Amino acid sequence: MTFVRRHALTAFAVAALGYLLLPIAVVVLFSFNDPAGRFNYTWQGFTLENWRDPFAVPGLSEAMRNSIQIALLSSLAATVLGTLIALALVRYAFRGRGATNLFIFLPMTTPEVVLGASLLTLFLNLGVSTGFGTIVLAHIMFNISFVVVTVRARLVGFDRHLEEAAMDLGANEWTTFTRVTLPLIAPGVAAGALLAFALSVDDFVITVFNAGATVTFPLYVYGAARVGVPPQVNVLGTLIFVLAAGLMLASVLLQNRRAKGVT
Amino acid sequence: MSFLHRHRGAVPYVLLAPGLAFLGVFFVVPIYYLANTSLQEGSLDVGYTFAWAWSNYTDAISTYHEQFVRSLVYAGIATLLALAISYPLAYWIAFRGGRWRSLLLLLVIAPFFVTYLIRTLAWQTILADEGPVLSALTAVGLVEEGGRLLATSTAVVAGITYNFLPFMALPLYASLEQIDGRLIEAAEDLYSSKLQAFLRVTLPLSLPGVFAGTLLTFIPAAGDFINAELLGTPRQSMIGNVIQSKFLVITDYGQAAALSFVLMAAILVAVLAYSRALGTERLAR
Amino acid sequence: MTDLTRRQLLERAALGGAALTLPGFLAACGGGGIEGSATTAATTAAGGARELADKLTISNWTLYIDIDEKTKKRPTLEQFTKQTGVDVEYIEDVNDNDEWFGKNQAALRAGKPIGRDLTVLTDWMAARMVRLGYVEKLDKSAIPNAKNLVDALQSPGWDPNRDFSMPWQSGLTGIGYDPERVGGEITSVQQLLEDPKLKGKVTFLTEMPDTIGLLLQLDGADATKVDAAAFDKAIGRLQKAVDSGQIRQFTGNDYAPMLARGDVWACTAWSGDLVQLQLENPNLRFVIPEEGGMIWTDNMLIPKGGHVFTASTFVNYVYDPKVAAQIEAYVNYICPVEGAQEAIRDIDASLADNPLIFPDDETLSQVAIFDAEAADNDEYKQKFQAVVGA
Repeated sequence: MTFVRRHALTAFAVAALGYLLLPIAVVVLFSFNDPAGRFNYTWQGFTLENWRDPFAVPGLSEAMRNSIQIALLSSLAATVLGTLIALALVRYAFRGRGATNLFIFLPMTTPEVVLGASLLTLFLNLGVSTGFGTIVLAHIMFNISFVVVTVRARLVGFDRHLEEAAMDLGANEWTTFTRVTLPLIAPGVAAGALLAFALSVDDFVITVFNAGATVTFPLYVYGAARVGVPPQVNVLGTLIFVLAAGLMLASVLLQNRRAKGVT
Repeated sequence: MSFLHRHRGAVPYVLLAPGLAFLGVFFVVPIYYLANTSLQEGSLDVGYTFAWAWSNYTDAISTYHEQFVRSLVYAGIATLLALAISYPLAYWIAFRGGRWRSLLLLLVIAPFFVTYLIRTLAWQTILADEGPVLSALTAVGLVEEGGRLLATSTAVVAGITYNFLPFMALPLYASLEQIDGRLIEAAEDLYSSKLQAFLRVTLPLSLPGVFAGTLLTFIPAAGDFINAELLGTPRQSMIGNVIQSKFLVITDYGQAAALSFVLMAAILVAVLAYSRALGTERLAR
Repeated sequence: MTDLTRRQLLERAALGGAALTLPGFLAACGGGGIEGSATTAATTAAGGARELADKLTISNWTLYIDIDEKTKKRPTLEQFTKQTGVDVEYIEDVNDNDEWFGKNQAALRAGKPIGRDLTVLTDWMAARMVRLGYVEKLDKSAIPNAKNLVDALQSPGWDPNRDFSMPWQSGLTGIGYDPERVGGEITSVQQLLEDPKLKGKVTFLTEMPDTIGLLLQLDGADATKVDAAAFDKAIGRLQKAVDSGQIRQFTGNDYAPMLARGDVWACTAWSGDLVQLQLENPNLRFVIPEEGGMIWTDNMLIPKGGHVFTASTFVNYVYDPKVAAQIEAYVNYICPVEGAQEAIRDIDASLADNPLIFPDDETLSQVAIFDAEAADNDEYKQKFQAVVGA
């Protein structure tokens, strides 16, 4: 019975991960499909062709590249801006705090279609032509709220005594912040950044309105879906994920090597 | 630094300034345009004029209250399901993940690397009428004979749940990871059972994460339209679908804007009630 | 569409392109020199000058022009650039008529240029653009090849003299079904609405012109001039089928995977999709309902602010039968250019005989064009959207 209890959590977590990744398994599977027509809906045969030439489809790799760049830029900016806001909201009692708390939720509550269109109107009135830059700006805008809420959850449980102790030991505010606070809230900030990245790379509606001639990965797929999504879409999606996972794996192994080296 | 020492009260405002300024330009101004639009009436042919058209709002509520309620209900159920699935997962990653945590978190957002359309297509393949999953469920009796999984309210809620899981899991993780394992040990040393330790120590300490995760899931889910569009029948349409339609198809920009504001208000009311219930003065400190 | 076909296509294009189309082009430009190629008229200056701009910006649907998957270039556009010196920026950002309009309406209403010289929109949306004055007139003197337009499309109600638009591709709306799963033939939309065998296995399109058009045909009503009573009757039939669960969902083109997988057995479908689906499953069939089907056309338009002369020159270029055949060999919808059917025999004879790409007169007599004015009627749209799920 204790065996079950001890491993119940692991079993559940693995099952949850399996549930999350089940459609990804299908996507990976269909990246090896050999469709006769332009649609990739039914299994017709195994082939490595798609993997041998993942960049074969014109416009697709550029769209993917755009999406990744936009996601990196916007999640970085949103994380910085959002973390600052979260710090202010949790740490300080100031006039307008309640209102700010509520205000932060507003971008999340606004339906994307009207938000995207209204933002476009702003760009139009400012005479800013839509394209890569406006997409980044739009993504930062809706990402900030998500970062704030995520980082705030972390900050709320943060033990201020650690900061007090550091300052008692002679550290000034900046050193305390960079050497004590930041490392301790880092997982929360990272979680916020990860969420922002995911939101950005997957966004469609707001992007469609503010993209101009730039094509991002979701835009490409939605456009292609009308006439047929090539298996290379599956290949690239898988590739990007594998790349990111590989980088993380490498950093973990590197840390291990370093740890072993020290001891 | 001494400037900030002398002007302590200015610190929060300095921290807020960049982010709020950004939102001031790129969110508040567009919302102003939207508010202006919501009180306009007209059509493409005759043009739209500002006319204090409060009827946009009253019509919105009277005609579409069914979709409003349905949206909040679907979002609520999806949030609860997401919580049920994500909490153990986040807990496991935070406490048992060890070195592999970053990799595991990456796995959590992995579905977002292939666009929404592709992963929904994959789910449709998995849950197809002639697929193995439905056959298995029918054989077991969970689904009635001749029933289907797709194009149902179950499919829509499941779709919303699935697509918002990372929104629940990541804040939960951020909060759980912070909990000092020794507190739990101490509780157990003091003769509490594992369950008690969880309920009395871990759960309360993770409430900020629960609060954050539920909000980050419920709020955007309430305005979602794409899951109902691809996985549901007309009977599952949510307020997001109505707003899409009003804006894009019927080009009734006034009504679309009014509907949006009513939705935003409804969500904010729900959020406020929820915060009160959870006693977030403590949580937000 | 096989790789072999495309290779043949490219060989012929390379050999024949210059020789065949250059004279045609010279004729189009009035026989004078092609001096316009190096001039620097602004790309989006409202075109008064009969000079070519440096760049032509085209907005189109995805995969709606030929592309060489090996070189990732678009042969038709490359040849155009070679002949005229005009660079083409080709943007596939039209996913859906309403979405495109929603994206551009703010600029259009404000009279600002949208950064496109040419865009391709379906009948009823094109009609709206013309009606609201959001398009420039074509420079017909630059389009002598307009005479190649098939008779059936010469004079639509919303642009009787083709002053503003020229068709790009057409398509048929009919019934797509899987005879094996259905266990028989389907000949009428009536079966989709009422056959109990098909309950929950039927989808209809979210496009009102297509769905309501077919229902009107079923009732024997005129789809080209919609009558309010007939419309309400059609809506009633549709609502009944939705309430009973007969209709599973309303879809855009996402009916295609459903049909392929067997979630859907019969649906209202577009001809071009079935051409592709049949490559995967040759059993699938596309039929025009016995009571009549629909035909729709995507049209080239010059949005306000677009460079009229350059855009018109491009229109003329694609109306050359050889060029049209080249495009058609890839796109596989219905070609509006007379003479392309013969030209395409050189590329792929099977395509020339495919009734879904070159429908014969009998087929064309069975399909109707939906009333463009009715398609944009607010009341009709509201009623239809209410059935579809707002």
